[in-house]
Amino acid sequence: MRPSLKINGVTIDDTFAEAFPMKATRIIITAMSVKWAHRAANSIRGFASSVIACGCEADIERELNPSETPDGRPGISVMIFAMSTKDLEKQVPMRVGQSVMTTATTACYAGIHSDEKISLGKNLRFFGDGHQISKVVNGHRYWRIPVMHGEFVCEETAGVTKAIGGGNFMVLGKTARQVLTACERAIEEIQKVPNVITAFPGGVVGSGSKVGSKYKFVKASTNDAFCPTLKGQVKSELSPEIGSVLEIVIDGLDEAAIKQAMRVGIKAACSLGPKKGIYRISAGNYGGNLGPYHFHLHDLLS
Amino acid sequence: MKPLVFTLRNTPEAPVDLGPLIPDLLAGMKVAQINRLKLAHGKKSVSVAQLFSVTGMDPANIQIRHGCDKLLYIGKGMSHGSIEVSGDAGDFAGQRMRGGTIRIYGNAGSWVGNSMYGGLVEIHGNVESYLGAGMPGAAHGMSNGLIYVKGNAGDRIGDRMRRGTIIIRGNVGSFCGSRMQAGTIVALNKTGEYPGWNMKRGTIVLAGQPSHMAATFMSCGELKMQFLRLLFKQLSELGNEYAFFKNYSPASHRFAGDLANNGKGEILILLQSPSKGK
Repeated sequence: MRPSLKINGVTIDDTFAEAFPMKATRIIITAMSVKWAHRAANSIRGFASSVIACGCEADIERELNPSETPDGRPGISVMIFAMSTKDLEKQVPMRVGQSVMTTATTACYAGIHSDEKISLGKNLRFFGDGHQISKVVNGHRYWRIPVMHGEFVCEETAGVTKAIGGGNFMVLGKTARQVLTACERAIEEIQKVPNVITAFPGGVVGSGSKVGSKYKFVKASTNDAFCPTLKGQVKSELSPEIGSVLEIVIDGLDEAAIKQAMRVGIKAACSLGPKKGIYRISAGNYGGNLGPYHFHLHDLLS
Repeated sequence: MKPLVFTLRNTPEAPVDLGPLIPDLLAGMKVAQINRLKLAHGKKSVSVAQLFSVTGMDPANIQIRHGCDKLLYIGKGMSHGSIEVSGDAGDFAGQRMRGGTIRIYGNAGSWVGNSMYGGLVEIHGNVESYLGAGMPGAAHGMSNGLIYVKGNAGDRIGDRMRRGTIIIRGNVGSFCGSRMQAGTIVALNKTGEYPGWNMKRGTIVLAGQPSHMAATFMSCGELKMQFLRLLFKQLSELGNEYAFFKNYSPASHRFAGDLANNGKGEILILLQSPSKGK
């Protein structure tokens, strides 16, 4: 890795982020107020940081104005990513049933329409115990399930689209506090980019992983080359002044969205500069053998 | 391309079957060929040229001028394109249509949208009875699509309808949504007797109390129906003509019925209606 590019004094490694194909869907949750839409959205995106063990990666994309939602109430769009449509089919209806339907005053709609579909209200309707009502409005089928708060209205299906997961960059700096401050700035900027999410808590990964392990039964293990405590012990990527590394992982609907998110995120992180303890930006890859999408940092930023 | 225009020369003596004049059947025809087409006129068969002067060329965009109630089956079975009628239309406009748009800038007869499968029928005047209904012997009435009537409608609108939406901005007659199997009827002014008579499923939204309601509908109380929020917002986005739905509130009195026939249908009587009595 030969450093040749600097932004605000921060070295940008000549490396690339390696990303792989995923499947994604978007759902729109509305409620009586944006507060209660958030309650449902936060619940559905809980325990959805990484496909390694959660089955899906999910996050809030943005808040929606009443004029943007199907029923004219405030809403939230949530994007959910998984390795296959089958995995989405397994995760999404279960999460909508347990997280959205159980939240008071909510309704749930598809945020993407396409030929490939997963069920939303299709199976949840049986909760209505025979009192459920199907309605077709403007070509979309909705289920009305009578519940104690009134009526839970849920679109029958949501569309699935091709997507990309695992776009990433790493922020290397002096202390964890300084690096986290830089990451918070980056996340703030990334949240403004449409069609991307950062599924990890707060958008930041504290324990980035590499593929495989010395143990046969562990699929992913700590990224030792970037662990500051192992600098002298393993073949480290870190120079002596680096005391902490945090990673930002971005899932998006297409390459352009991920590139844009990486670009604004890296620039925001670099804005703090070496004086505030930010020294280097790097990215995670597996030598280019695992994922077909390579995001070269120098190409993004030049 | 210029629309294909049929201008009626004189009011016909007998009913004329305009079924052959739809975008699907006229595609690829020259005006001369269209002029030679035969139309059923009472017991006789006459050529298009005898009844209409034909100009223009785009068969996907048909206009019928000087329409009158003798012109039956306008847009029958069409699947795409549009037909615009200036003047009145007769019975069976939009019968079994699958898609596309029929706009009638005048009144229309009975059985408009009879057993239609899809598409949009807009009538800017009044219609008579059996709007969107199914003929005796048919399995059901309209099974998809949207019918919008700006004026008044007669009796038994949406009789045995199965899916789709009917919107009436004026008054409706008696037995609105009778024997409905499913679907949605929105009637935004006065309603006659027995709405939803013997309905199995489906939703009838009324702007006010009907003049008489069957005893087999049971009150479920006054509620803000989430479904109405969705319905009104979605309808208001169909175009300027429908933007008035933005002013409607989901507060309604829900009646479940017809309990004489399964009872899974509903009549929602709006508590506040901006257009009532207009």
